[in-house]
Amino acid sequence: MIPRRAFLAAMAASALTPRLSWADAGSPAFLAFAKEPDGQHALFGIDVMGHDVFRVPMPGRGHAGAAHPVAPEAVGFARRPGTFARVIDCANGRVLTELHSPEGRHFMGHGSFLQGGDILATLENDYISTRGKIGLWSRSQGYKRVGEIETHGVGPHEALQMADGTLVVANGGIQTDPRVEDGRGKLNLPTMQPSLAYITPEGELLEQVFLDPDLHLNSIRHLAMTGDGLVGFAMQWQGDTMDGVPLLGLHRRGWAEAKLAEAPLGEQLAMNGYAGSVALSGDGRYFGITSPRGGRLHIFDHGANFVAVHRRPDICGLAAGPEGFLATDGLGGVWHATAEEFQPFTRAERAWDNHVVTL
Amino acid sequence: MRFLPAAALILSLTATTATADVADAVEQEILPGTAAFAEGAEALKAQADANCLPNVELQEAWNDAFDGWMGISHLRFGPLEVDGRVNAIAFWPDKKGFTPRMLGQMVADADEIVDQPDEFHELSVAARGLFALEYLLYDDQFAGYEADSYTCRLVQAISTDLARMAEEIDQEWRDEAAPALLSAGEAGNTTYLDRDEAVRVLYTSLLSGLEFTADSRLGRPLGTFDRPRASRAEARRSGRSLRNVTLSLEALQGLARALMAPEEMPQSEAAFASVFEAIEAVETPDLSQVDETSGRLKVEIVQQRVQLLRRTVEGEVGGHFGLSAGFNSADGD
Repeated sequence: MIPRRAFLAAMAASALTPRLSWADAGSPAFLAFAKEPDGQHALFGIDVMGHDVFRVPMPGRGHAGAAHPVAPEAVGFARRPGTFARVIDCANGRVLTELHSPEGRHFMGHGSFLQGGDILATLENDYISTRGKIGLWSRSQGYKRVGEIETHGVGPHEALQMADGTLVVANGGIQTDPRVEDGRGKLNLPTMQPSLAYITPEGELLEQVFLDPDLHLNSIRHLAMTGDGLVGFAMQWQGDTMDGVPLLGLHRRGWAEAKLAEAPLGEQLAMNGYAGSVALSGDGRYFGITSPRGGRLHIFDHGANFVAVHRRPDICGLAAGPEGFLATDGLGGVWHATAEEFQPFTRAERAWDNHVVTL
Repeated sequence: MRFLPAAALILSLTATTATADVADAVEQEILPGTAAFAEGAEALKAQADANCLPNVELQEAWNDAFDGWMGISHLRFGPLEVDGRVNAIAFWPDKKGFTPRMLGQMVADADEIVDQPDEFHELSVAARGLFALEYLLYDDQFAGYEADSYTCRLVQAISTDLARMAEEIDQEWRDEAAPALLSAGEAGNTTYLDRDEAVRVLYTSLLSGLEFTADSRLGRPLGTFDRPRASRAEARRSGRSLRNVTLSLEALQGLARALMAPEEMPQSEAAFASVFEAIEAVETPDLSQVDETSGRLKVEIVQQRVQLLRRTVEGEVGGHFGLSAGFNSADGD
């Protein structure tokens, strides 16, 4: 938990700092990592039509980024089980600082800014206790680690902050250890128990939702949310891909259980049991999930009804666009998607990585 | 710090230097394949309309249609993907037993949908296509039906639905999918934004087809050494499990050759030949020999050779075009 005094000092400091804004980085609308033809990795800022605004080279493959709400700062996380994150000044490409996870921890590839941007929250695996943690870092104190809270689950992957300050966390449920199979080995599949946890910024558990026992292999990984607190969570099935289980769940605080969304059986099976990203459409009406393994974008409404499918090999990155969604793929394509249409914006010689972050 | 996963290192996005013969693949392999399937499915419908009893003639017609399907079942993009057609034509593996359960329910309720051909496509994919027909024509639970029974009409309705899908696939391949592949990268083509993407989609079909045969067609009945699962073999009721392995591999070999033309692929050819040789040694058309040790070994050898074939094709064909598995599909999180 963040000591109250440190927190107040941080807030005061951030209010006083006149700094650059995203306009100084060319006003990108989205951030995404990519691998380039020569094997180099880079973070790109792109505009609403998918055109490059800036490019910052990266030392290795990233997973997702956290974008500061005001300042042109992005935090790029190493892929799981990476132990460092890099804070980049997107206006000039400079590395402002590096974050290192504490001993016995590694980052999970996602993080987000809280409290208007002064606190960076990082999802972490405490592989000694096997408990999920959120690390809290103060931007105004040079990204000093100022506290940490429990996620009340194993393998937390992503967290979002709701309008009232509550954090909603996707606890993937899968126990991993960087000392075993490079951290990608799954150590507890028979007993895994993913959950969606609502916690206070101080780490107190407010509410927790679990899946039916026969869906316990459905790892809850990624999140999107409407302004009024309807949470969409995307899942990755650890069982047989021919089980055709739902891969998107919807939940609102107070609901006894999540509403699961699935396409007609044939189309559901084609997702291959895997959703890589989830996003809310720009107009807030739909949730989309992508499956690079099935080469599909599925769109659902708030009632968990299937609305549309768009097909594109290796599609994965997904974010809210001005209208509908913006999607990226491993062949270098950036796409405009709505319930009705699917059109390419741009294509470049690079492989877009798993996620797109909306600014 | 280990930051670069091995899978990412093998990815190459370099523009295709070798020119793949997409046109050869389309004209010599795909379009004849969709036409043959449409013809087989139409003949099956005609036979079922003439006599819907599960006799040898109808079973032969069903087998011919299935043979046609094996010629194109690996093309899991474009027309085969529309309206869940792949699963509506061939719903397998059916892990939860949806197909017999739904068919049993329809027969018990005498579901009127059999008399509404326009609505039949709304039925769950599990109760449609080749595997639903296999149950009705071969399984003891259903195959004893009489000429004027509900089941007889159901056989006709499923055959009609199958023929319609096969015809639509053939038509859409000619009208849309083939022109799209052949004009990859040209202005206005929003399916293939670059010529490379046309090669890639065919190459991906080739690899996925090999994977499906190794992991599912062979892997499911093989199960584990301690627990083989002969009852999980594909199309075992009709005894065409092994035939499906052979026909699928032949179709994939044709696709690989067409893609590589005019270049040859000596390593892949040798690997294909070694799989076909191993198939010769398998005695049971339904792969039921996996239940005993020496029989299992022979099926396992086929599987190992298909896996080796897949790696060979990756090296030779993939290497030729500078292609490898998708960045996100191979390595997500």
